[in-house]
Amino acid sequence: MPGGCHYLEGNTNALRRVKSIQELLPQIGLEPERVRMFHMSAAMANEFVAAATEMVRQVSALGPNPLRISPVCLTDNRRGG
Amino acid sequence: MIVAQQKPLEEIKTLIGDARKVLVVGCGTCVTVCFAGGGRQAAIMAASLRIASRMEGYERTVTDVTVHRQCEWEYLDEIAERVAGADVVLSLGCGVGVQAMAERFPNAWVVPGLNTGFLGLPTEHGVWAERCAACGNCVLGLTGGICPIARCSKSLLNGPCGHSKDGHCEVDKDIPCGWQLIYDRLSSMGKLERLLEVQPPMNWRASRNGGPRKIVRKDLRIGPEEE
Repeated sequence: MPGGCHYLEGNTNALRRVKSIQELLPQIGLEPERVRMFHMSAAMANEFVAAATEMVRQVSALGPNPLRISPVCLTDNRRGG
Repeated sequence: MIVAQQKPLEEIKTLIGDARKVLVVGCGTCVTVCFAGGGRQAAIMAASLRIASRMEGYERTVTDVTVHRQCEWEYLDEIAERVAGADVVLSLGCGVGVQAMAERFPNAWVVPGLNTGFLGLPTEHGVWAERCAACGNCVLGLTGGICPIARCSKSLLNGPCGHSKDGHCEVDKDIPCGWQLIYDRLSSMGKLERLLEVQPPMNWRASRNGGPRKIVRKDLRIGPEEE
């Protein structure tokens, strides 16, 4: 839970990073709803199931990752020129 | 350090235009430690541009490389071949890095991926603040190590203006009054009498007012003796 992380403020720091990714995604053409963070402890099994179910529903509504069906190759030629 | 931040991706995409081969070049010094243009940011930028291009249905190769220092030509020579193979070079260096690349590679089209901000330091995680205006005529020895040029919004040399209120600047209440800082520091060190010395007008010719600046160190020059 926020503030109750084993690494103290680790989860609140992580939330800032997730928000940053949510801002980046629409700039590169993807829906920000594809990334989301839920707070819960290891003992919150029901909440975990509910969050996973909600995320599956949300992503299913968005459809498959368009990068997987785009006809143009995603070239990652980092060592090349 | 030189503090910079990335331009919006939309602006970067406009700068790149319809280039087919893009090389993102990071820099391993100042912009690495301010998390704007180091190796990790160059890799993320290249990946972002690859994804964005693919989402737009545009075939483009985006690669990245990071040099030790973009502001020295000898480090740029290491990537000459990769620069030659790119339609556009996106520099994630500061303004000096971009220009060093453009000078070293006259045939390369180099565009900036960062907005270069100021000379400053990290005051806390994720926060950088200006400390030096590179005015060319340092007065820190008179002011207890707090710069009136960079820290006073009006760059005053003989005390605060009439609108310093409760230790804050009239420009923005979040800006501490530079002269309040100077007074407090000299006071805590028992050196307030230093403020009694009236400073003459600043010689701004050592700053930008004298045009582009250059430093020549004859003791470091090499080759035949010069006149």
